[in-house]
Amino acid sequence: MSGMSIILKKELKRVFGDKKLVFSMFILPAIIMIALYGLMGFAIGAMNSDIEEHVNKVYIVNADARLKNAIQASGFEKNENGETVNDITYMTEAEYRADEQKLSDEILNGDSQMIVYLDPEFEKKFTSYKNAGDAIPQLIISYNTTENYSQNTYSVFAAGSGINPGVLDTYRTMLLQERVGNLDLLNVFDLQQNIIEKEEKAKSQFISMMLPYMIIIMLFAGAMSVGVDAMAGEKERGTLASMLLSPIKRTSIAGGKVVAMMILSGLSAIVYVASMMIAMPVMSALGGENSPMGQGFGGLSLDLVQGLQLGAIMLALVFLFVAVISFLAIRAKDTKAAASLISPVYIVVMVAGMLTMFMSGKNVPISRYFIPVYGNAVAIKDICNNELVGTNFLASLAGTVIIAVALTIGIARSFDDEKIMFNA
Amino acid sequence: MIQINGLTKIYKLNAKKMAELKTKKNTKIAVDNLSLEARPGEIFGLLGPNGAGKTTTLRTVATLLKPTKGDIKVCGFDTQKEGQKVRDSIAFLTNEIKLDPNFSADYMFKFFGRLHGMSEEQIVARQEELFNVFGINDFKNKKIEELSTGMKQKAAIAVSLVHDPKVVIFDEPTSGLDIVTARSVTDYLKYLRDQGKTVIVSTHIMSEAEKLSDRIGVIIGGKKVEEGTLSEILEKNEAEDLEDAFFKLYSKYGTEK
Repeated sequence: MSGMSIILKKELKRVFGDKKLVFSMFILPAIIMIALYGLMGFAIGAMNSDIEEHVNKVYIVNADARLKNAIQASGFEKNENGETVNDITYMTEAEYRADEQKLSDEILNGDSQMIVYLDPEFEKKFTSYKNAGDAIPQLIISYNTTENYSQNTYSVFAAGSGINPGVLDTYRTMLLQERVGNLDLLNVFDLQQNIIEKEEKAKSQFISMMLPYMIIIMLFAGAMSVGVDAMAGEKERGTLASMLLSPIKRTSIAGGKVVAMMILSGLSAIVYVASMMIAMPVMSALGGENSPMGQGFGGLSLDLVQGLQLGAIMLALVFLFVAVISFLAIRAKDTKAAASLISPVYIVVMVAGMLTMFMSGKNVPISRYFIPVYGNAVAIKDICNNELVGTNFLASLAGTVIIAVALTIGIARSFDDEKIMFNA
Repeated sequence: MIQINGLTKIYKLNAKKMAELKTKKNTKIAVDNLSLEARPGEIFGLLGPNGAGKTTTLRTVATLLKPTKGDIKVCGFDTQKEGQKVRDSIAFLTNEIKLDPNFSADYMFKFFGRLHGMSEEQIVARQEELFNVFGINDFKNKKIEELSTGMKQKAAIAVSLVHDPKVVIFDEPTSGLDIVTARSVTDYLKYLRDQGKTVIVSTHIMSEAEKLSDRIGVIIGGKKVEEGTLSEILEKNEAEDLEDAFFKLYSKYGTEK
């Protein structure tokens, strides 16, 4: 057995031989992830139900018969079961003016949700309108954007909900019908949208935005959880020096440790990603169709080649992260110093992953694929969109692997540096 | 056989260390032109106060540090050019180098046996011998972190000897041990000497050096100030015992630096 494989086995046993460590590294994060997303979904679902079930208090001032009809027709006041959805109080101009400040305060404090104020001369201005430039009546809606109930009441009033049309649309149509007679006269062309898109790209749009960032963050977090202790921790405890006394090459020690950490952090990342794949539909199911991640991973479908490409990029990334973390950790005096050295790198990695989230377009020059982390994130995004070309794939691998190999050599050299190893 | 010829080790000091040591010099001479020889079938005692350069000397022999000047040969292998061969020839034990606390003595013994290229059969046979000598069998499957100081030291000694090395270098091997465990360690060192091994032991316990060493080297301030058998050292320094001789040497050389 080579020195490298002996070190590798020992490093793996250090984790897999400890039930508590296995639980905290691989099982607990999955449980937390699923529970957390489930809880978020439950909270979103509960919030949506609460908003839907809440009976809102609405004041309507100077309402005419048309508006009252529009309210009835759009189901704004009562739902199909005859249950009150919005408690409407109709007021005259005098009643409103008498309590104007109090009603405004109610909206501000969340005690009522909306005031719809129609111009007292609404009818007169509407009927007397003849030519462009004539006065048109005002309709003022007061609501509170910082209160969910109030915001939702306005949305339903303006644009409707589900199959119900909005009150405003219905009211506007009624008035136009009256003024113009034949509403078809207002249609000057028939708009038809012909959407041309790749079906798989449309489906995977959300995931292609999120996946590169998620993979990068998970892989780095996984590498950090094992890398700091395996290098700075062992050095601090004096156990690394015992290995340096063995008759094997320093590169074998570095190689064995790095490969073991790649396996461990890779597994950790797989656990995270798999947990997310389970957690997102859970969140979606509990939170309803409108939850932010409702689409989950459903849109992502990879063929064998794409799967292998994604696997290779993840492997290169984990190699790089382990090498970076190990390189910094071995040069740090102790685990505390290592953590403070690695934190800024974590931020840089996060930013590099994030850059691709809001990036669009196929015209990324090949030189950018060579940039470690960023180039990998772009390549992962391309895989999700079915747009990755071979040269870009190879460039993204090469840039990352070259840096990782250089750092691994640096780790092996650090083992030979008495200043680093023994503070001599 | 260990041959040290003109070993000098100079540490570079950063500003923080210069402040700690209250010095304006950015270097510290830890070992100064030291030469000595430890032969097969003898225990060579390296004696000196704290900070004298004993540990630096032994670490340099073990290839963990590089000499600034001079050369060292272990079993004929140059420590700088043939590091792997040197490491395969020695057992090195010091308080600052420890076994991984997450593993058992059993696993650590096998792990280091494999790193030394031993077959599983060789490892098992060697384990049986050493674990019996040091009474490790009772706790061999317990994690190192669960063991007492004495148990840890016994395990560390056994593991360091897994490959039956020709040269044994122990830096203060009885430090922190109770009298019974300390005795078993010194007895085993004598046994190794009788087996023809080269044994070099550093200590600041005079009585231990007196009883254990066939020859003694005294280091003060990085320099070897005396070398010989116990009787030679006592005679040269007109001393009644080693402690007396050491204090005479210390009063002569201890304030030079």
